[in-house]
Amino acid sequence: MTTEGEGTLAGMQPKRVPLYRDATVVKWVTQVIALLLVLGALFFLVEEAGANLKAKSIPNDFDFLGINPGFNISEGIDKDPNTGGRALWVGMVNTLRLAMSGIVFATLLGLAIGIARLSDNWIVNRLASIYIETIRNIPILVQIFIIAVLLGSAGRLVGDTGPINGWFMVSSKGLAVPRIFPSDGFYQWLVVLAIGTLLARAVRKRRVTHQDLTGAISYPNLWFGAVLLLVAVVGWFVHPVFGFLNNLFNEIGDAWGSIPQSGAKLVLAAGAVTASLLWIRRFLNSKRSPAGLAKLTDDDMFRMIFAVIGGLLVAFVVTIGWPGLSSWIINSGQDFWHFLGDKFGDGRTGNPVDAMRPTIVGEGTLLNYGSQGLVMSPGFAAMFIGLTLYTASFVAEIVRGGILAVPKGQSEAAAAIGLNRAQALRHVILPQAVRVSLPPLGNQYLNITKNTSLGIAIGFADVVNVGGTVLNQSGKALPVIAIWMLFFLCCSLTISVVVNWFNVRTRIVER
Amino acid sequence: MTDHITIDQTPALPPEKPRLTAGSWVRQNLFSSVRSGILTVIFGVFSFFAFKVLVNTMFENPDRDWLAVKTNLRLYAAFAYPITQFVRVWVALGLVLALLGLSLGIWRSASAVAARTIASRLIASGLTVLAGTLLVGPPVLRDEAGEPVYDETFEALRGTWRSGLEQRTGWFLLAFALVAAGVALWFGLGSRRNTLTVPTTLVVWIASGVVIGSTWVVRYGHYGLDPEGVPVGDPDSLVAMSTRMPWTVMWLLVAVAYQLGRFVSRWNSSRLLITAAWFLAPFIAFWVILRDPAIDYGHVWSTDLPMFLGFGVLGGLLLFLLADPKIGELGRFIAFLLVVVAALTFVSGFYGWFSMLQKARISFCLLALFALMANNFAGDRQTRLRFAGAWVLLIGIAHYFITLMNSPSTLELRADSFLGGFLFTMFAALFGLMFSFPLGVLLALARTSTLPIFRLLATWFIEFVRGVPFITVLFFFDIMLPLFLPAGMEAPDMAATVLGLVLFSSAYLAENVRGGLQSVRRGQYEAADAIGLTGAQRTSLIVLPQALRVSIPPLVGQAITTYKETSLFAIIGVFDFLRVANYVVPNQSTPVNFIGHKLEGLIFVSFVYWLGSITMSKYSQNLESKMGVGER
Repeated sequence: MTTEGEGTLAGMQPKRVPLYRDATVVKWVTQVIALLLVLGALFFLVEEAGANLKAKSIPNDFDFLGINPGFNISEGIDKDPNTGGRALWVGMVNTLRLAMSGIVFATLLGLAIGIARLSDNWIVNRLASIYIETIRNIPILVQIFIIAVLLGSAGRLVGDTGPINGWFMVSSKGLAVPRIFPSDGFYQWLVVLAIGTLLARAVRKRRVTHQDLTGAISYPNLWFGAVLLLVAVVGWFVHPVFGFLNNLFNEIGDAWGSIPQSGAKLVLAAGAVTASLLWIRRFLNSKRSPAGLAKLTDDDMFRMIFAVIGGLLVAFVVTIGWPGLSSWIINSGQDFWHFLGDKFGDGRTGNPVDAMRPTIVGEGTLLNYGSQGLVMSPGFAAMFIGLTLYTASFVAEIVRGGILAVPKGQSEAAAAIGLNRAQALRHVILPQAVRVSLPPLGNQYLNITKNTSLGIAIGFADVVNVGGTVLNQSGKALPVIAIWMLFFLCCSLTISVVVNWFNVRTRIVER
Repeated sequence: MTDHITIDQTPALPPEKPRLTAGSWVRQNLFSSVRSGILTVIFGVFSFFAFKVLVNTMFENPDRDWLAVKTNLRLYAAFAYPITQFVRVWVALGLVLALLGLSLGIWRSASAVAARTIASRLIASGLTVLAGTLLVGPPVLRDEAGEPVYDETFEALRGTWRSGLEQRTGWFLLAFALVAAGVALWFGLGSRRNTLTVPTTLVVWIASGVVIGSTWVVRYGHYGLDPEGVPVGDPDSLVAMSTRMPWTVMWLLVAVAYQLGRFVSRWNSSRLLITAAWFLAPFIAFWVILRDPAIDYGHVWSTDLPMFLGFGVLGGLLLFLLADPKIGELGRFIAFLLVVVAALTFVSGFYGWFSMLQKARISFCLLALFALMANNFAGDRQTRLRFAGAWVLLIGIAHYFITLMNSPSTLELRADSFLGGFLFTMFAALFGLMFSFPLGVLLALARTSTLPIFRLLATWFIEFVRGVPFITVLFFFDIMLPLFLPAGMEAPDMAATVLGLVLFSSAYLAENVRGGLQSVRRGQYEAADAIGLTGAQRTSLIVLPQALRVSIPPLVGQAITTYKETSLFAIIGVFDFLRVANYVVPNQSTPVNFIGHKLEGLIFVSFVYWLGSITMSKYSQNLESKMGVGER
């Protein structure tokens, strides 16, 4: 903190810098003042909002989560939720369902269009570029409205007609396609598949080693697929063997439930403190070189202090601040294991996976889709088609950019060592293109997730729509908005963690 | 600073490519291999049917009634803006177009289109129109009220193909004219078509001239419909309600402004002035011209003017003193004190200690900001005078606009706001961008700074905003902002929601600018330090100009996003462009029943949005290739 003694040259008196001129002091005082200003402004605003709401006798609490919301939801896992929290949960599941299907299909479509955009064939190339230039320059909301109108005018649901009779149905009630769903022995089969994957990986590794040692082509990926397929087919029939897992998971669940609450608190608190201490140790180690510990800047000190405070804060919250948390963890852990146990044993001997074609129920003019097929309500269908088409145009540009970013020398080199075009694409160009495309692709996935919130405009029951209904009925604006934002932040965080993980895996390993 | 760099206006010629004959072009691009041939056939058939379905869905369909758009063009443009005052819309548009013309003249664009391209585009678009006209099915029969006639199985009755061909003479003429123009250009120029280029600006101007000129012959829209559903004739008594005269004036205005811009471009200050004019133009267009405030001159003389003089003179004097290099620590102390005073004015508002005009609070904040910057402008007498002068100018402008916003509007409105339709979209996009830009730059600077708390605050803000959907931010500001403000303060018209847009896009802008900041080499910082610049000077004179130059293309991309995002205002009930198409027109029942006619409006709206976005994105692509981003 002091500059005394520094820069003492011959004939130069060390001069004491006054406190208000000291760079470090000024820096930190400014920052602390700024922080206080920001916190103060936030505090004033929240207090003011609370006072204004109180004047309207709307308390700012989360009570609505526990009481009957008094409305039905048009679609989802529970159309008649008995609590507000349950209603929001239904909305969240709808949002996630839409986001995930949108992500998968937008990626596939975008990949196809991006490759088409690079085609030598003029007409394919032109169609792809018209698609991209049209779709990405029109606001997504307008497109969703247009698709909703078109679906709405698709005509009434009638008897047994459809573009492909009984397989794909379009009407103003929505779309219906055959449904493939996990059935009786699905989870037992999943265990078989997991074991099969391990086995197949071992075989693949052996084949790779064989190829490396002898130079003979030994088709490692083909072997991998064959082994997995074999295990899957065998597992289809022998999966009931794993019924014993029922007991095992139930035992684990019971054991989990018998953890005392104080013990759980202690473990959580100790874990938080240990994590912060471990982080500090790693941080200090990163600053250490053979010459000794590097001089720590005040920024470094700030980080370490922050880590300690954070650890202590978490410890405080789990022990004293929020006593319900530990019992919640114990209870939900127990429930989780029992839930898992229920998926096994108990006469589960049927097919792991089943499929059904859509059906139509009802009489006369009151026809509707039955529950057998995969039914997309008009709202879901409009959102899904709109999001997929819109995001695909961006994905296509990313894919094109990624492929173009691979230097021409790479494909020439691949040709020079005798790879054909498919091999060059598979082994040389795509791996490098993926590396460039991944971060922007992650951004697009994030955008799909956020754009699901437009469901409110056409009445699709996503989390924003359900939250909006709750908000209108209870007037509790701040809690509902907080839940929305927290939910979307969690989604964003998850997506960025996943994308980062892939990013690290595909990064160039530098020597 | 004194001489601007003259850019060579002739674009560099691309390497000569051998011109292919039609046969070899087809062979190379459509049938280069068996696979390619199959693709050509499949996608050729596909695009034929897709095009056919598209034109039939859009035009010749019993559910379509394009009168829904034609009759309501006024609603689309300005929603409920009073008809008697409609000339204001044109004046506002004229202001913007005049500035556009001036800027085009001053920064003459070097981009040009080859004559060959123009000719082939004309022929291609003519052929497309012809194909569309031929592919549309026979016309739907309609009764006198314009409703389609159905047979007993609820199938719409259609006329004969022949009657369709007769009805669509206009389209055939258009197709013929386009092809003829293209062919004439192609053969008229002979071999010169390969070398001759025409400036893009001129092409756009001529093309818009043709469209505007055609309004004198063809009537595209209607002013309205009488109770029988018959279009009311052009109300020539109200020139502003017709389109041909005002648009022609606008068209000529752009040309005049362009020539003027070329003339004034020799003066160095013209660029600075036109930039300043662009910043003031939205305020003037929206609050002076369109809103027409009824200024209470009694209040101006008694309060506003004295307040301006007080802040201007006293503040200017204070800043003149603060910019004295010899002032030393006292200057810092005074600046600090001013920050505290500015903060206190807001705190007092919350606790109701003493009432104060909102204008005074804002003025104190600005004064504190200037005081903090003062030591960067310390220098000789002239520098200090200029600094104080800038303050007087800025506070004058700020007070003027705040007074305007506080004055009630003289317009007799039927809606709760003077803005609606496309005007609102423009308003939100322009103000959203204008205010989010400085905020975004500040956030980016904070995020890349070495001060941990600033960095942390900026990072949290940016990541938080980028993690949530825009619609939740809009809801938040729509619902919560009125609750946040205490009794003494209030937000002007629609400020709440536009503030949401500003904060939202500033987070994204900040990330774009951060990319630019990271591309500035360390040596630049060190060189700035070496010649003794202060931190603020280093940032504003050395780092930011280089960083912003690199981030122009992503910033234009962000501008497009913001423009498209304004459509979300329709969800929270603002009568913007999209809401007119999706809600207002489909609920009209008199004088003609347009109930349920959504698609026409939505197609129209998407075309307008598309036109704006594609213009910006082409401009950005041009800019990118001209600047050679990624090559330096």
